[in-house]
Amino acid sequence: MSAPRERRAAITGIGVVAPNGTTIDTFWKNTQEGLSVLDRITREGCEHLPLKVAGEVRAFDPAAAVEERYLVQTDRFTHYAMAAADLALDDARLGAADTAGQPFSIGVVTAAGSGGGEFGQRELQRLWGKGSRFVGPYQSIAWFYAASTGQISIRRGFKGPCSVVAADEAGGLDALAHAARAVQRGTDAVVAGSTEAPLAPYSMVCQLGYEELSTVDDPSRAYLPFTAAAGGFVPAEGGAMVVVEAERVARERGAPLRALLAGHAATFTGASGWEESRAGLAQAIRGALDEAGCAPEEIDVVFADALGVPAADRAEALAIADALGGHAARVPVTAPKTGIGRGYCAAPVLDTAAAVLAMEHGLIPPTPNVFDVCHDLDLVTGRARAVELRTALVLSRGLMGSNSALVLRRGAGEGV
Amino acid sequence: MSAHITVEELSGLMKQAAGVTVAPQELAQRSDTGFDALGVDSLGLLGIVGELENRHGTPMPPDAERCKTPRQFLDLVNSTLMAGA
Repeated sequence: MSAPRERRAAITGIGVVAPNGTTIDTFWKNTQEGLSVLDRITREGCEHLPLKVAGEVRAFDPAAAVEERYLVQTDRFTHYAMAAADLALDDARLGAADTAGQPFSIGVVTAAGSGGGEFGQRELQRLWGKGSRFVGPYQSIAWFYAASTGQISIRRGFKGPCSVVAADEAGGLDALAHAARAVQRGTDAVVAGSTEAPLAPYSMVCQLGYEELSTVDDPSRAYLPFTAAAGGFVPAEGGAMVVVEAERVARERGAPLRALLAGHAATFTGASGWEESRAGLAQAIRGALDEAGCAPEEIDVVFADALGVPAADRAEALAIADALGGHAARVPVTAPKTGIGRGYCAAPVLDTAAAVLAMEHGLIPPTPNVFDVCHDLDLVTGRARAVELRTALVLSRGLMGSNSALVLRRGAGEGV
Repeated sequence: MSAHITVEELSGLMKQAAGVTVAPQELAQRSDTGFDALGVDSLGLLGIVGELENRHGTPMPPDAERCKTPRQFLDLVNSTLMAGA
């Protein structure tokens, strides 16, 4: 990312399919208002499970978003990815006519934590209920973590560098960094991000083993990071895709530069305990600042990982203090995901989308449902805070021990 | 179950197994068009073969899933069913 100006990677388009909105306008309006859409899980077959609250994407009609063949051949997490990719490409003003002539100049990178669990469950039920002859062939690809990258590439005819990051939740940020590196190596644009669909019976049962999962059944009390009442995290579905584009290419075609991907770093501290993530996350922050050529004092807002487990929250607050020094006491921190849930790999990509919008609007969205902060952080609660934002830091950690940090710089805006 | 696969049945199978809608009349007119051009990929054709085998309780020859066009496929599948009847 520390590349010469002509090779810098910019975000030129954003597409979200989130629990609180399936357009950028709705997503941002509800995010900056601090609306919480966490609610009781309504998905069929999930009613009896001890996980009661999540962020469901309810304003999404797959049949309106993707063609019939993809409804049959792919899982819900890929439907979300295709829809978000379409929105991001529209936002970047990259239509089929713009990309058809140069298929090798645009690639796809996604991250996924849980893959196509709903599709897989249906086919495995056929396997054990009726026999192997009744399992559909698309089971071979639909459940797989890589499905969304492959299907977006096929559907849009993108033949540039395509890859999948399998790196725990923080992989969502790593996918954006991977896209930026592809751009620096010469690819014009990469559609990058993550979507997840973990709210189906099999997928939910898989999550029940996570001791960090909140099983509180009151939506307003289920996900309260940085408070004494923190009792775990609430999962979510949906996600975001962005268009990462070479700054030079975007300028040439007059596309808006919404933000610059300025620096990123990732570390791994294992799944042995959240205390360990303090050093790992601090090191990731230092690495991202270093790559961005950014002093700690330049960070205007931090989008926190905000796991909602006391030891993890403490480790994150200390990591921010370790890496930002005295500035940590002054920099505003926020965690809008307390209003929509934590969509595994998709969570930090939605945070990235929110961070770009926050910089554009000069408004830090609040942390819904959270009030009595018990850590030494200036957490933005209650209502959005108006402040000029030039640089944002997005943090993410995974349940298996990955830690990532991404530094974003405000873009130059429209056709500059 | 009839031991003869019609264009109507193939059209229904394409929709069910691969999510590709081609009306029977159109499919009859385009029976020499490649499955790929109709939007049915190799996994889709494999799914159609599997569904036919389940419906008719008889295995299809390995070449069934390698057929390039609806006409080739119907000829092969129907001659197989005829031989088994």
